[in-house]
Amino acid sequence: MNESVSTSIMAPSGSRRLSLSWETSLRTGNPDISYAGDFELRSKSRVTLAEHISNYGRIPTGLSLNMIIETLRVANLTGRGGARFPMYRKIDAVANARTKKAIYIVANGSESEPLSRKDSSLLRANPHLVLDGMSIIAEVLGAKAGYIYVKDKEAHVAINAALRERRDRGINEVRVSVVEAPPGYVSGQETSVVRRIERGPALPRFSTDRLATSGIKGAPTLLSNVETFANAALILRFGGDWYRSGGVGYDSGTRLLTISGSVARPGVYEVNPGVSVAALLREAGASSVRALLVGGYFGGWINVRDESDLNFSFDDHTLADRKLNIGAGIIGVLSKDTCPVVEAAGIVEYLSRQSAGQCGPCVFGLPEISTAFARIALSSNVEKGIAELRSVIPLVEHRGGCQHPDGVIGLVRSTVGAFGDEIKLHKSGNCSVVGVNHRSVLLPTPKMNSGMSSIGGK
Amino acid sequence: MRIVIDPTRCHGHGTCAALLEEYMELDKWHYPLVHNDKLRDVHLESAKRAVQLCPELAIKIVDN
Repeated sequence: MNESVSTSIMAPSGSRRLSLSWETSLRTGNPDISYAGDFELRSKSRVTLAEHISNYGRIPTGLSLNMIIETLRVANLTGRGGARFPMYRKIDAVANARTKKAIYIVANGSESEPLSRKDSSLLRANPHLVLDGMSIIAEVLGAKAGYIYVKDKEAHVAINAALRERRDRGINEVRVSVVEAPPGYVSGQETSVVRRIERGPALPRFSTDRLATSGIKGAPTLLSNVETFANAALILRFGGDWYRSGGVGYDSGTRLLTISGSVARPGVYEVNPGVSVAALLREAGASSVRALLVGGYFGGWINVRDESDLNFSFDDHTLADRKLNIGAGIIGVLSKDTCPVVEAAGIVEYLSRQSAGQCGPCVFGLPEISTAFARIALSSNVEKGIAELRSVIPLVEHRGGCQHPDGVIGLVRSTVGAFGDEIKLHKSGNCSVVGVNHRSVLLPTPKMNSGMSSIGGK
Repeated sequence: MRIVIDPTRCHGHGTCAALLEEYMELDKWHYPLVHNDKLRDVHLESAKRAVQLCPELAIKIVDN
């Protein structure tokens, strides 16, 4: 196992590893949580190449494929886009793809999930870390070209500036191009990314092959989230054991989270898994919490009946016990003046309009699901809504060319499963929120998007 | 052998469902709902015709 540190630089510790907040004064009192600030608030400039090298040391070179795979395996680095697939296995699959074609490497920073800001924050603040991860892995795989797929315009500018600095310094590495991600919820799906890089539309492609064997132009393609590459850059500098010194064993390192909704301090946080959810919400300034949406629009709910419902560890296993997955690192907070079922119905309706429009069951089924779900949310006819969901869901589930329809169904199921108490009220024509004024908290709005020139989309 | 339909190509013409009713039926929107994709040898010829006749080239027969 390689634990050698190639420079005399001190490895960063605690929850400040990705350096989103080194220069801001927005530190929290909790060593497991650091706050990178709100998008609108944060004016932190990009870390230059010189600052980057002084923070983290030089880019490691000459690592062997086996060394990289073994170090990432020890680190237990998993994909930060939501799928949680072990990074070392992805690299291994691409390296062993039986083909004579060139290999491509792609960092996905499109962040098409409207509640996420962490990828844009990382790219705006510290693009060199992402580029380092791509560079090291591309070198050992002999990749022909690299791409960063990104929607946020400021992130785009930051990456281009970083690429210029690297060229000027004469760093010899894979050629990386920035590809602009168009708006739309499905534009960030893996196969959409590949099609866009091939200069096609950013729409999902149906395939029975994995990208590791058949991705861009049918060639083996290593595609992962930008945060995964940034973490790889740190692990390959400071070692797998160092990485595991943060977090809990099975969920190691740090994780970037975007916390939004009814909180005083929304924005991007870097946290050590294992921190308590209650502490996390305290730092974000949440009070009178009614529900949490964990993992974004394809995620699931926690019904918060009292404070004790928030006393659990934030980590993959504990969330999995509750049938939850942090996805791309998203927590949406609803306070007691919002009905979570109504909020969910708004999201389902939004998602039904975000279908790529390619597959019949998605095109025709999602509007039916949305209509049925609205009967439950609006307390108009809960029984009819449930009956309609029972009949239409089997006609939609597992029938899409991408994860979109199944993601919507997952959210519907989680809502019905988590809020039995609320739905019971709706059956009698009522709702827990008196004087119903359903202003959506978690849906994209022009204000939410104002800090970002193009994210979110319509 | 397995029957695979690319849902992004399928436009619900229904030719495959007419030829392979042991394997699929049309849903209420007229798209094929496959309940068994394990193709048996006795139906191979029908499946090949379905592949040839699909106007969208959406249906395939794949190994395993």
